[in-house]
Amino acid sequence: MLLINNLSFSRNKNIIFENLNLSLSNQSITQIRGKNGSGKTTLLQVILNILESETGEIFWKGKNVKKNIFNFYNETTFIMDHNTCTKKLSVMDNINFWRGLSSSKLTNNQILLLLETFNLQKYQNTKTMYLSSGEIKKLELLRLILEQKKLWILDEPYNHLDDLSIKILNQTFIDHKKKDGVILFTSHLNPNIDNLEVVNF
Amino acid sequence: MFNFLINPNKFNKFADVIFKPLIVITSLTIIVGLLLVYLSPLDYQQGLTVKIMYIHVPSAWLALLTYAIMTIYSVIGLAFKTPFSFIINKAIAPIGAVFTILCLLSGSMWGKPMWGTWWVWDARLTSVAILLVIYVIIIFLNYTFESREVREKTIAIFILIGSINLPIIKFSVDWWNTLHQPASISKLSSPSIDISMLQPLLVMTVAFSLVGLIIAILRIKAEILMRKNYL
Amino acid sequence: MTLIKKILLFLKRESKLFYSNIVDLFSNILFFFLSIFVFVFSLGADQELLRTIGLGIIWSLLLLSSTLSLRKFYEDDFNNGVLTIIHMGGISYELIVFLKILSHFFFVQMPFLASIPIASLFFDLPVNEVYNLIFTFIIGSLILSCLSSISASMNLLNKTNFAIGSIVVLLFSIPVIIFSVGINNPDINVNSLINLLIGIALIFLGISPWSSAAFIKLALRNK
Repeated sequence: MLLINNLSFSRNKNIIFENLNLSLSNQSITQIRGKNGSGKTTLLQVILNILESETGEIFWKGKNVKKNIFNFYNETTFIMDHNTCTKKLSVMDNINFWRGLSSSKLTNNQILLLLETFNLQKYQNTKTMYLSSGEIKKLELLRLILEQKKLWILDEPYNHLDDLSIKILNQTFIDHKKKDGVILFTSHLNPNIDNLEVVNF
Repeated sequence: MFNFLINPNKFNKFADVIFKPLIVITSLTIIVGLLLVYLSPLDYQQGLTVKIMYIHVPSAWLALLTYAIMTIYSVIGLAFKTPFSFIINKAIAPIGAVFTILCLLSGSMWGKPMWGTWWVWDARLTSVAILLVIYVIIIFLNYTFESREVREKTIAIFILIGSINLPIIKFSVDWWNTLHQPASISKLSSPSIDISMLQPLLVMTVAFSLVGLIIAILRIKAEILMRKNYL
Repeated sequence: MTLIKKILLFLKRESKLFYSNIVDLFSNILFFFLSIFVFVFSLGADQELLRTIGLGIIWSLLLLSSTLSLRKFYEDDFNNGVLTIIHMGGISYELIVFLKILSHFFFVQMPFLASIPIASLFFDLPVNEVYNLIFTFIIGSLILSCLSSISASMNLLNKTNFAIGSIVVLLFSIPVIIFSVGINNPDINVNSLINLLIGIALIFLGISPWSSAAFIKLALRNK
């Protein structure tokens, strides 16, 4: 599905990574494992074309990502390591915004159910700035299910989460994998997922 | 052939070749120009003050020319990502600022006896003052951002936006009814200036450009050296 | 069709954000009125003098107070990554900038419009001058929104030198001031000035999406 060919990137003449090759097949979960500051986030940003690579190409379904950038974005959910929800809007406003942006087909009832599983339903009309960081992270992760995209790219998804939420997240990963999904995430932890492909970085 | 205009190493080689002859030619031109200015006739109305023109007009031209060069290099730098463009932008912005200051100072020195005031709010003067502000902002931007790439590209984009001012300066005397007289030498076929005054003016313009060129070469070489040491 | 839906969604979000930040706007308007008071106190309450220079004072103070909230233009969305998320939702940065300018124009500049008649009362301006002022402000504030966008996106990564953002806005707003205040000169053809103002607005509407998007991309790459 996603093929990374001979990718290299350097910042201010410091080589961050060089001649990187990676291929993600259908129905796979891949973890990029590495120390702090080893360039995991940078790699994700290069894949998503936020940063420009110096050499190398990235292909999604056989098409060059750079030339079909919006097609690629249309099938990708990107969860950043910091929170992208707007602090001054309520939880429901944020959800509606994300839902509209990705033209998701989820109904209101399904969303309420989702909020319930993540234990967020009581905050529906609270501004997100009053939520704790773990709750905000859970709200971020809701985007995975909301946007219904094929490729999930996550940056440090386990930050701020408690054990129960980590279990739910891992289960979500496995469910998505069964539905022909492709998952790529970075973490310095060793999560409990079967058939996890690990790339040491 | 014109690679030295884009490639730092070739520029260095080219500059080393032409630098000594350039200094000789420049000093000769300055001496000749100053002699011609000294010998040039007095204006029957303005008297001695007309000789301020021989400094005022060349510095005004060069202020505009420097900005035009920076604009062209910014386009090249943004389009083709040539680092030399950003070196040029950083190196010659202060030169342009100095020429603009020279132009404004000599202009107001001429204005005091002729118009009776140091400063008039007319379109030409105001737009040149804005040019000076733009130069100063460019110089300030050089010390503002931490990351070098951000600094260079921000300056380049800012130069492009600021280049709107160039045609305004050029045509301000035609578009508005200003106190400042319209250009005398724009029509090359029949300039509205006497040949005895045109000669020293042209020689002075060449001398000013050569002085500017020498300073620019020195500054660009220093900038290239600095970058090589940092990187 | 989906693009139009996304654009409407973006504007809806902007309006919600505007209502949650409405105190900021009122503070700007308060600043505007207070600076008028300071100006009048420093000049002395001479009715004739105030009437002749009132228009220029109102315009320059409007300009200054609109540079107050300059840094907020992109800062929040940039810092928490919403700009990237919106971009990944299929809207190019140029369109984002354009929509931001439009929403800034409607939600920040238009409320100022209500304060102009009140401000002109303090200077006892004649009615036709107030009409002209309001008319030029509608066009001029669109230009100001474009300039704010350019300067705010330029200074996204600028952590120290805050003044330079305001300087850039003031610098490029000089033509706006010249033509807007010149409209009350009886010798000048009003229509031609308005055409000139609209022309400047169109130029900046063309330039600012391009340059702001370039600045934003640059800042995102070096965050």
